[in-house]
Amino acid sequence: MAGARVLSIAVSIAVLIGLAIPAWSHHSFAAEFDAENCRDFTGSFTALDWQSPHAFFNVDVVEEDGTVSDWTFQTYALITLRRAGNGREVFMQNIGNEVWVRGCLARNGRERYAAAGRLRFASDGILRQMGQIQN
Amino acid sequence: MKRYADLMCATALGLVLWLGAVPEQAAAQGAGSSDAATEPEQEYVIGVLPPGGPPPRHPDGTVDFSGHWLPNGAGQGVSGRFGVDPAALGTFDPEVTPEEPPALQEWARERIAAMTPTELELSKSSVNCMPRGVPAIWLQNPYSTLMVHTPNLLAQLYEVLNNWRVVHLDGRPLPEYPEPLFHGNSTARWEGNTLVVESIGFDERTYILPNGWFHSDELRVIERYSRPSMNYLVVQITVDDPNVLEKQWISAPRRWTLGDGNVYEFYCTNNRELEELEELRRQELEAAP
Repeated sequence: MAGARVLSIAVSIAVLIGLAIPAWSHHSFAAEFDAENCRDFTGSFTALDWQSPHAFFNVDVVEEDGTVSDWTFQTYALITLRRAGNGREVFMQNIGNEVWVRGCLARNGRERYAAAGRLRFASDGILRQMGQIQN
Repeated sequence: MKRYADLMCATALGLVLWLGAVPEQAAAQGAGSSDAATEPEQEYVIGVLPPGGPPPRHPDGTVDFSGHWLPNGAGQGVSGRFGVDPAALGTFDPEVTPEEPPALQEWARERIAAMTPTELELSKSSVNCMPRGVPAIWLQNPYSTLMVHTPNLLAQLYEVLNNWRVVHLDGRPLPEYPEPLFHGNSTARWEGNTLVVESIGFDERTYILPNGWFHSDELRVIERYSRPSMNYLVVQITVDDPNVLEKQWISAPRRWTLGDGNVYEFYCTNNRELEELEELRRQELEAAP
């Protein structure tokens, strides 16, 4: 009887284990960046700072009034980018190319500084995840 | 006690059934190329890694834990990628193997509750480029671990911060006056096919989980390693800390899967988060009434 109960629970567990397992993170972008204050950026990809723990890149963003300003974006850890197929070469090959970035601004108000969520280089049109905040 | 034993038995059996039920073709090692990873329209390009047959063993019959282990069910990176089967994410499903929160003593609970979200973030090992330590390296580590296992030692090469640890398997006793180490002072023994590593003497700058759960110098950790199949490593952690906890805490059995062996360098030399978060905290303190 007890064996049947154990088997029943085991089967239930075997079924349930196939369901969604939530992703988790060791620290939170949302503590440093505001997930409710995100915007689109378009401009020229100008520079890459490829050092652990997180990469940074710069974009000369064309603002609505036509002015150009230099924005810095933080990304995932280098290891995460590499394992997702977004190694250093992807960025270096696009220096000077047009890029679209969806990013969220820093909570501390630092100007022209954001966490990149997604990115798309005009050169290949591939949508790439860059950070935790994906809204 | 009997109910607990039944539940543990059912959980283990459920895991075995689940491992055995995953179809071979459901995401063989290497699935999910960079192209696939960047196509959000494609569903489940990266799936659950199949069991992969029985675990390897040493000549003396003990299970060999050698391998490149990733903290998910896919055997490859899953963060920052599109098309990942939700079943391949994470090291456990809390709906299947629920994990009780730590039973913190009241003073410890109050100390953590008094922290603002920014202060909590600032406390984290990851934000400070500090070693996770044991047991956090198995509980809050999104990066891979390479294990080299001989009959006499288990070397753990953690990708994060290029940290490493050697656990001797010769049954040496725990020291009477242990140094406070990030990975503790360990002794190991076999219980069937499970390697049990018991450790004491931890550096007090580590946190058990990234939720502010700190520990005292009385922390004692038990790690239980098993390898139910070639492609799966299961690590379960017991935390005993009579100065901070009302009772010991036992983690869910956490699965790690066999990767492709590519371990990357990770020296934390360009950490800007600390500076940015400290500026945020300064502003919050300034604005506080």
